[in-house]
Amino acid sequence: MVDSKVKQLLLALRAGRVTFAYPFEPRPSEPGFRGRVVVDTDKCTGCGGCADVCPTRCIRIIDVSPTHRIIRRYLDRCIHCGRCEDVCRYGAVRLDLEYEISTTNKSDLFIEQHLFMGSCSRCGRCYVPPTPLDRLMVVGFRKDEEV
Amino acid sequence: MITIERSTEQINQTVAALRERFGEKVRAVEQPTPHRLYVTIDPDVVVQAADTLFNSLGARYLISAGVDKRPLNGGFEVLHFFAFDQVNVRCALVIPLKGDPPRIPSITPIIPGAGWAEREFQDLLGIIPEGHPDPRPLVLPDGFPEGLYPLRKDYPYDYKPPLDPNKTFPFKEPPEGTTVVTVGPFFPVLEEPSQWRVFVDGEVVVGCDYRGFYNHRAVEKLGDSALTYNQITALAERICGICGCVHSTSYCQAVEEAAGIEVPLRARVIRTLILELERVHSHLLWLGLACHILGFDYVFMQSWRIREPVMWLAEYLTGNRKHFAINLVGGVRRDITKDQHPRILEVMDKVERETKELAETLLNDMPLLVRLKGTGIFTPEEVRLTGAVGPTARGSGVPIDVRKDHPYAAYDLMEFDVVTYDGCDNLARTLVRVGEIFEAIKIIRQCVKLLKELPEGELMAELPDEIPPYRHGMHAVEAPRGEVFHYVLTGENNRPYRWRVRAPSYQNIQAVPVMFKPGTTIADVPITLGSVDPCFSCTERMEIVDVKSNETKVLTEQELYQLSRQKTKELRGQK
Repeated sequence: MVDSKVKQLLLALRAGRVTFAYPFEPRPSEPGFRGRVVVDTDKCTGCGGCADVCPTRCIRIIDVSPTHRIIRRYLDRCIHCGRCEDVCRYGAVRLDLEYEISTTNKSDLFIEQHLFMGSCSRCGRCYVPPTPLDRLMVVGFRKDEEV
Repeated sequence: MITIERSTEQINQTVAALRERFGEKVRAVEQPTPHRLYVTIDPDVVVQAADTLFNSLGARYLISAGVDKRPLNGGFEVLHFFAFDQVNVRCALVIPLKGDPPRIPSITPIIPGAGWAEREFQDLLGIIPEGHPDPRPLVLPDGFPEGLYPLRKDYPYDYKPPLDPNKTFPFKEPPEGTTVVTVGPFFPVLEEPSQWRVFVDGEVVVGCDYRGFYNHRAVEKLGDSALTYNQITALAERICGICGCVHSTSYCQAVEEAAGIEVPLRARVIRTLILELERVHSHLLWLGLACHILGFDYVFMQSWRIREPVMWLAEYLTGNRKHFAINLVGGVRRDITKDQHPRILEVMDKVERETKELAETLLNDMPLLVRLKGTGIFTPEEVRLTGAVGPTARGSGVPIDVRKDHPYAAYDLMEFDVVTYDGCDNLARTLVRVGEIFEAIKIIRQCVKLLKELPEGELMAELPDEIPPYRHGMHAVEAPRGEVFHYVLTGENNRPYRWRVRAPSYQNIQAVPVMFKPGTTIADVPITLGSVDPCFSCTERMEIVDVKSNETKVLTEQELYQLSRQKTKELRGQK
């Protein structure tokens, strides 16, 4: 019994101190970590693929008119699975290495994005114009106070 | 050795035995793969059929599931699942039911382990198990309106009925002359809030009663009414905070089986590696917490120190410490590339060396051994009756292990031993878990070796446009705590029609009352509860009610620890 206690003591001494002084010294996350969600609104075409796969359904799509689509991301409900990053063909969503994103204000974790879409001449619903040239033609201007 | 011939032989033998005994009452036999069998029988012979499988043919009871099939054929359905270990066969008795409320003879009198499952479908689907020895509610909150059944298809998934505040749970009457010790609803050794009323005579435990499911979150309902196949993988992972990957793997495998999807070998090896990584960290976590309960905080600190690099490794490989989100139906999302291999091996070497040192000092520590040895006795026959799984069963010398008995992922290519001990007590269950850490490390090394040889990038199978509706799939995974079982009945609209989950603790907690043998003292209650490894999380208090004087005394967490640690101290003094 005394023998095993001595062994335990030696084991603990050998390990030494293993705790870190975080948050007084930085602790970078591992490469490949799924951290903060960053949206590049210039690259987003509004296809809605991310909203389709999101398991918590924290990405909402609202079409307010045949040419005007709003994408709302309620990132306070995000579980950082990274499925949106996987399915985005345009690289508009990315999960970076930042993890210090806790906040006392929910609206800090809310992203609203307005997109101008093509309007289907048959059903009148929003769609993503197939080529960049088409997109240039439909995305013209933004009227104020519309929403 | 498991071969398809032996599986086929077992299936033929089972079908022959059922047909011979019940003749026309066996209505249909379905055999979607060489290892699965679905037998549709009439409700009036269900007890005899279960008896044939469980007692005559030696099958192990898994779980029961109720299905509301009224939108399809106007009736209900109950499935009782059984497993034939060693030959890799799982078998389901499918019992179609008519009428409302539907009635089915209860199988609990012959299979005690079915008690909860039958109470659950009584609560959630309104299927009445006739002749159940303990038909009290199980899942629904106290005061839930009668005649409302949440898992029925006409119940919206987001509807919250008003509860009747005057209704309370019908607890068992304590035996004459005993005192009730209430453990819970919030207690450090239990995974979820659950309440144990332990009947004591002085210090000695004479019986107990259980009330749980305070935190039932209707995960199954959400899965079959709101989410899609691939969204469920994220939800399945959150069933358990410590071993989540086992649920998503098991769920994916069930869907893949139903849809006939063949997963690429590389994806299966990656699943194996991640699952074993999870086992290493889970067992180290358990070891620390079990010793913490006994007042041996040294081990708590050291084993969690050893565990931490495993968590960092998981973050490096999958992108998160926990909730790896690596599985999708058809494969895995991330590859493990060549440049990641050296770090995996390095961490495994370190963990193996340090765990070995720690285990050596532990198992020579007298007070610890005395506390663990001979407490919480659980015999092999009780294992069979309660359907206990995992280290809880293997600590009683019952060599059931899904990885060997029903190989999944890439376990058929791995060489490893099933760790068993014959002690039947808390010590044996501890030794099993320590032994399994080393086996898991062995498997991880083999996975890395295999990954080096396989071509990179083959991670996802070709998926069909639509997963065919109304097909069965059942699959299990050996979680750190035992066998996780998922049953999926595929449906329309890109989501399952019914999804049934059975976590290992579902069976193991039912076994705890059996472990309170005559002579157990209150101080042994925490470690015996802990030895089945329900994830320890919620911390609160316990309450002592003296039945005679109706006085209530609340023991704080500190006082309870004090009791448990006092005993260690006394023992230490004696030695």
